[in-house]
Amino acid sequence: MSEEVPTEALLYFNSAEARTIDAFAAQIIPSEEGSPGAHEAGVVYYIDRALAGFMRDLQSLYRRGLHVLDDLSSDAFGAGFSALEPHQQRQLVEALDARAAAEPDDFAGQFYRIVREHTVQGFFGDPAYGGNRDVVGWKLVGFPGAQWGYTAEQMKPGVDARSIPILTVGDLYARIGEGRS
Amino acid sequence: MTEKFDAIIVGLGSAGGILAEQLTKAGARVLGLDKGADYSEDDFAVKQDELRYYQRGAIVSGVSVDPVTWRPDENTTARILPWSAGALGSDEPLYGMPSIGIGGGTLHWGCAAYRFREADFRMRSAIADRFGEAALPEGSTVADWPISYADLEPYYEKVEWEQGYSGRAGNIKGEFAPGTNPFEPPRNRDYPMPPVPQGPGDIPWVAATERLGMHPFRQPLALNSTEYRGRSACLNCGFCHGYPCHVGAKSTTHVTSVPAAKLTGNLDLRTHSRVLRVNRTADGKRVIGVTYVDNADVVHEVEAPIVILTAYALENVRLMLVSGIDGNGQVGANFMTHNFGWFASILPEPTNPFLGTFNASSAVDDFTSELVPDNDLGVLWGSPVISVTGDLQPIEAYHLMNPGVRKFGLEFKHWMRDNYTHMHRMYSQTTNFPYRKHYVDLDPVIKDRWGVPAIRITHEWDDHDAHSVELFGGIKRRIAAEMGAKETWMDSPRPPYHLSTHDVGVHRMGYDPQTSVTDPFGAVHGIDGLYAVGGGSFVSYGGYNPNQTIQALAYLSADRLIERFGGTAA
Repeated sequence: MSEEVPTEALLYFNSAEARTIDAFAAQIIPSEEGSPGAHEAGVVYYIDRALAGFMRDLQSLYRRGLHVLDDLSSDAFGAGFSALEPHQQRQLVEALDARAAAEPDDFAGQFYRIVREHTVQGFFGDPAYGGNRDVVGWKLVGFPGAQWGYTAEQMKPGVDARSIPILTVGDLYARIGEGRS
Repeated sequence: MTEKFDAIIVGLGSAGGILAEQLTKAGARVLGLDKGADYSEDDFAVKQDELRYYQRGAIVSGVSVDPVTWRPDENTTARILPWSAGALGSDEPLYGMPSIGIGGGTLHWGCAAYRFREADFRMRSAIADRFGEAALPEGSTVADWPISYADLEPYYEKVEWEQGYSGRAGNIKGEFAPGTNPFEPPRNRDYPMPPVPQGPGDIPWVAATERLGMHPFRQPLALNSTEYRGRSACLNCGFCHGYPCHVGAKSTTHVTSVPAAKLTGNLDLRTHSRVLRVNRTADGKRVIGVTYVDNADVVHEVEAPIVILTAYALENVRLMLVSGIDGNGQVGANFMTHNFGWFASILPEPTNPFLGTFNASSAVDDFTSELVPDNDLGVLWGSPVISVTGDLQPIEAYHLMNPGVRKFGLEFKHWMRDNYTHMHRMYSQTTNFPYRKHYVDLDPVIKDRWGVPAIRITHEWDDHDAHSVELFGGIKRRIAAEMGAKETWMDSPRPPYHLSTHDVGVHRMGYDPQTSVTDPFGAVHGIDGLYAVGGGSFVSYGGYNPNQTIQALAYLSADRLIERFGGTAA
C-alpha cells in the first residue's frame, strides 16, 4: 500500500477517522499488485466530501459508527481498526458482513453496509466527486465512463470494452468548451 | 383581482404536456402549474453521471420533499418508503415517485412504448371465459374497461406520430410482416421510425428465444432512431433510464408537446408552483380553480372553469383527498403497481451493458396477457418477457449483483472485474389485481413541508403476484440456459418495493360513481369541470409499461375538452 492518508485536505473527518475509513474501504475493495483498490481510488476523500455536503445528515451516524468499529476492534485485537494487521481487519469485516446479514437492525452491521455502499460509490462514481482517481474503478470493470455516445460499430458484438478510451464528466465539459462534442 | 383562465393543468408531464399542447392549439388560454423546473438544454448538456442522477436522484423530488409512506396492511403503521428512505436509502428513480418538472416522468423514463392488447381491456371477462368465474381472485375488483382497444387505436397511433416513437409494426390491418411480433394487436399504420440500434447483449437472447420456438421482436421505444421533427437521433450514450437526454432524442413532453404549447402564445407556464388544493363552489358540484404556492412561499388563488389533474396517479389522489373529494370512497382505491421479477445472467460473450438505452433490445409476447400458458400455479394473466441490454453503470451493477457472491474483499472485486461486461437482464411485469384492501389515502401523521399530508400506500404482494414472478422466472431460466449463461439469479417474488413509477388504478374510469371516479374522458363524477387524467384511470393492469396508454388517454381527453370549448382539434 502507498502512503498513509490524509495527504490532502479533509472537509469532515479528522485524520484518525480518515485513516480508519481508508483502511475499512480497502477491505471492501482491496488493492493488489497492478490492480488498485479503494485506497488508491481515494474513496476516503469521496466519503469525506460527501459527508461535508450532500450526505451531511449522515455525519453523526459516521461518528457513532467509527466509535463502534474501534470498540469492536479493541475488544477483538486490543487496538483501533486502523492500527490492526490487514488480516485482522479482514476478519472484522467478515464478522460485520455476517452480522449485517443475520441481524438487519444491528447498528454495527448497518454501519458496515453504509460504508460499503459509499465505498462502491467512491470507487465507481465519476472522479469529479473525489474518488475513482485515475478512473481505476472504471478500468477495473471495463466501463468507458461518461461518453457522449457510441457509434454503430461500437454497438456491435465482440467489441472489447477496454479498448474504448475512458472519458469523465470533466472531459465532456472540456469538449463542450472546445465546441467539439 | 383573481386571475382567470380557460383551463388550469396541474402537472405538465406525460399527460399534462399533451393536454397543454392540444388545448392551447385549439385556442384555450391555459395556466400550466408544475412543482418542478422547466429545464433548459444546458441543464442536461452533460448528464452522464451515475451518482448525480441514478444514485442521488437529481430529477426526482425524493421522500424528503414529497414523502410517501407504505404499509402492508391496515394493522401496521406506515413508514416513509423503507426501501428508499433512511441512511442507506437512495433515490434510485425506479422505486420512488417519478421525475418532476416539465416532462414529468417522461424525463427519466426508459422509453418502453407499448400499446395494451385487445384482451387487456376486458381482463375480467377473458379470465372468466377461460378459467371460469370461480378462478377470479377472491375479493378483487378487477373489471372490464368501459373502452376498448379499438376506441384507443387512433389515439395510440397519434401518440406514436406526435410524440415520436420508433419500432417495427407486426400487424398492420391484419397483415403480418415476417420477423415481427405475431401477437401484436391490429394497427392502422407503422411507426414513424425504425427501431434504435440493438445492444450486443440482445443478439444471443434473440437467438435463444427463437431456438425455443418463441417470437422475439424489437421493442417499440419512445426514442428517436433517426432525426425526427428537428430532434436528434439517439446517440446510444447509455445513460437513459433514470436520466434526462442530452440531445433531445428521448420522447418527453419537455421537448415535444410543451414547446409546441408555448409557441401558441396561449400557455402561461408557472414552474416551482405547487398546487395545494382544488377549489369548488359551495355545493361542491363545480370546480372554480386551484390554490398554489410558489417557491417564494407566496400562496395564489387562480380560477378556471376547467381544472385538469395530471400530476401522477398518486398525486392526483392526494390533491382530490386534501380538497375533500373522495368519490364515494373510490378516490385512491384499487392501487396497482408492477413487480418486475428481475432476472440476471452472466453470458459467455461480452454484452457491454453500458451501450445504448435500457430497452435497445427485444421482447416476446408469446405468454403475454391472455396468452399465459396453462400452469399449475394459478397464474391467470401473462406478461411480455423483456431483454434488457443497455444503460447499466457499475454502481447499479453492484446493486444488481449475484446475491450468492460476497460483497467485500477480492471475491467481490474480481466478480465485478470479470462479470460486469457480461451481464444481461430480463424482466416481466406481473398483473397486479386491484383490491379494496390495496389503496392510497392521506397519511394521518406525516406531512410535507407545506403541511400537506403524505400519500400513504396500503399494498402487499399477493400469491398471484408471487406465482406470476415464479412462472415467468421459469421461462427466463429456460432462455438463460439456452443462451449458455454461466451464472443466473432472480429477484424475490415478493420484492421490498411497492412503488415502481408504474403506479396506477387509483382514480378508476367507469360510468358508475359507486365503483369509479372519472368517466373514460377523465371527467370526475359529480364535479363539473374537474378532470383527472393518467394511469390513475386504469381499470386493470397487465404486463405492459403504462405510458403509451396514459398518453393515448390524454389525447382522448383533449378531444372531449376541445369539443366542450367549441374548438377544433390540432
